[in-house]
Amino acid sequence: MNAVQISDLTVKAGSATLISDITLGIEAGTWCTIIGPNGAGKTTLVETVAGLRRIAKGSVTISGQSIGSLNERERARLVSLVPQHPEVPSGMSVRDYVSLGRVAYHGLLRPPSAGDRRVVDTVLERLSLNEFSGRDVVTLSGGERQRMVLGRALAQSTMVIVLDEPITGLDLRHQMELLELLKKEVLECGLTVVATLHDLTLAGQFADRLVLLDKGSIVLDGHARDVVRSAELSERYGMNLRVVDVDGSDVVVPVRH
Amino acid sequence: MTTNPPTGRRVAIVAAFTLIGLVVAMVCGLVVGPTSIGTWRVVGDAFSHVGIGHSTLSALQSTIVWQLRAPRMVLGLLAGAMLSVAGGTYQGVFRNPLADPYLLGVAAGAGLGATFAIVGAGSGVATPTWTPLLAFVGAMAAVSCTWLIGGRGMRSNASTLILAGVAVSALLTSMQTFLQQQSSSNSIARVYIWLLGSLASASWHSVWMVLPYVAACALVCVASGRALDVMSVGEDESRSLGIRVRQVRFVVIAASSLGTAAIVSAVGLIGFVGIIVPHIVRLLVGTSYRRILPISVAFGAAFLVFADTIARTVMAPSELPLGVVTAVIGAPVFVLILSLRRSMVR
Repeated sequence: MNAVQISDLTVKAGSATLISDITLGIEAGTWCTIIGPNGAGKTTLVETVAGLRRIAKGSVTISGQSIGSLNERERARLVSLVPQHPEVPSGMSVRDYVSLGRVAYHGLLRPPSAGDRRVVDTVLERLSLNEFSGRDVVTLSGGERQRMVLGRALAQSTMVIVLDEPITGLDLRHQMELLELLKKEVLECGLTVVATLHDLTLAGQFADRLVLLDKGSIVLDGHARDVVRSAELSERYGMNLRVVDVDGSDVVVPVRH
Repeated sequence: MTTNPPTGRRVAIVAAFTLIGLVVAMVCGLVVGPTSIGTWRVVGDAFSHVGIGHSTLSALQSTIVWQLRAPRMVLGLLAGAMLSVAGGTYQGVFRNPLADPYLLGVAAGAGLGATFAIVGAGSGVATPTWTPLLAFVGAMAAVSCTWLIGGRGMRSNASTLILAGVAVSALLTSMQTFLQQQSSSNSIARVYIWLLGSLASASWHSVWMVLPYVAACALVCVASGRALDVMSVGEDESRSLGIRVRQVRFVVIAASSLGTAAIVSAVGLIGFVGIIVPHIVRLLVGTSYRRILPISVAFGAAFLVFADTIARTVMAPSELPLGVVTAVIGAPVFVLILSLRRSMVR
């Protein structure tokens, strides 16, 4: 059974169709990255998988359960989200922020249980956030902050994690670090990742599978290496893209006419 | 230097001082007044009621303390606690530091209801004794209107609700002004006094009338602290964390508004408490609503009783409007704490 199964999905905003008739199955324990030019519908697609958008037609199931039939709390135990522009509430400690991921388990009226606190400890440890755990969230650097947001999502202990442009605004080292951390979770914990990325090189290097989206529909879908090398890519982005092999890894470079 | 969220120890110290302040405020509320009765004699009399020692108060003094000052003090506690916790809750649920308990039209609705009762008395369509009832009905009707206009539907969010509140308030205030302008100068003066808010007409009857509302609503507000903390990451993220944002918002707004309406019906529109107290508490204990809301209950209660003690004594036998006193004390206290905190951070 696929961890995520999207079937004939159409999502609208008012009369505009943002996504039309998308079908996509994502195997458990794999990393699928959605790429595509701006306005392709990437964010809409991942937000729908996270249960934040109303489905006009079709369905999205996570681990066999249709997200439309779940309440918020049930859904939050199946799929977590790292949003593109996370809100960082000033005055909250890093530990409290990561603990927000446990609300779906202990509820709004009860404090986190010992088990919840253990999960948070483990996440802080795995993401090397321990030294910041008492700090005010607004004092963190961009890279630390993004790691903390990832920590909140991991604390939700979901099988599927959805990330919308998680490395925006980070320098190269921190981009790699964050993606490596995520890869470790995929390999060691069997996490299923659905992400959007603008950087095609990193998209190709980290994902098992790439899905190219354009104007709300899937244009290409396949093994990362094949999609990156496809001629379709240049066409959809409306520019000349070249793939260079560097020590066995594909690097996508734009070429100026 | 980086600032960290306040530690548990600091919160405990603030809570302890707030409780001490609350006890002092309660004693002041009973002891201070034009008729001088010694502090220890009042305290001794209070203990004699629970079977410890015996009272030295005369019958008249006992009546002054327990039938005039005590209900006024208790109503002050309830009003201060409810307005403060409702203000803090509104600030949390709307993620807006300017929110106060009157944001969604409670004040305008209650004002219209009370004006109708007072002005209508002259023409025989109402009586002044209806004032609390009509104020309450007006307040709840106004908030319900705001909710129906701005709070329903998939696309509704905190901003549409605030804007609906502004519209409803503007409409009801203009109706209230019209009604007031059509009436006699005698009625205008009484409406004006009601609008300024006062504890002068407090009685045990009014205490028992509002107590159930305030107890239940303040409890719901305080219990919502954890929900408001989660919702500080915004609507979409809260939903992805498993919060039913719309339901939480409805419950919290209903509780804050109901409690505020009950208080307003008994004491009129006491301004400034609901906005300033949660901010003072926030400066002292940090941004978590799990801390702000319970401490605001005690802080607001103490603050309003102190303010009322000043309101009824500095110009005795006439009284200062309570809303004026809360602003005159509250604003400098707020500025003082703000500047102290800035110098500590540096």
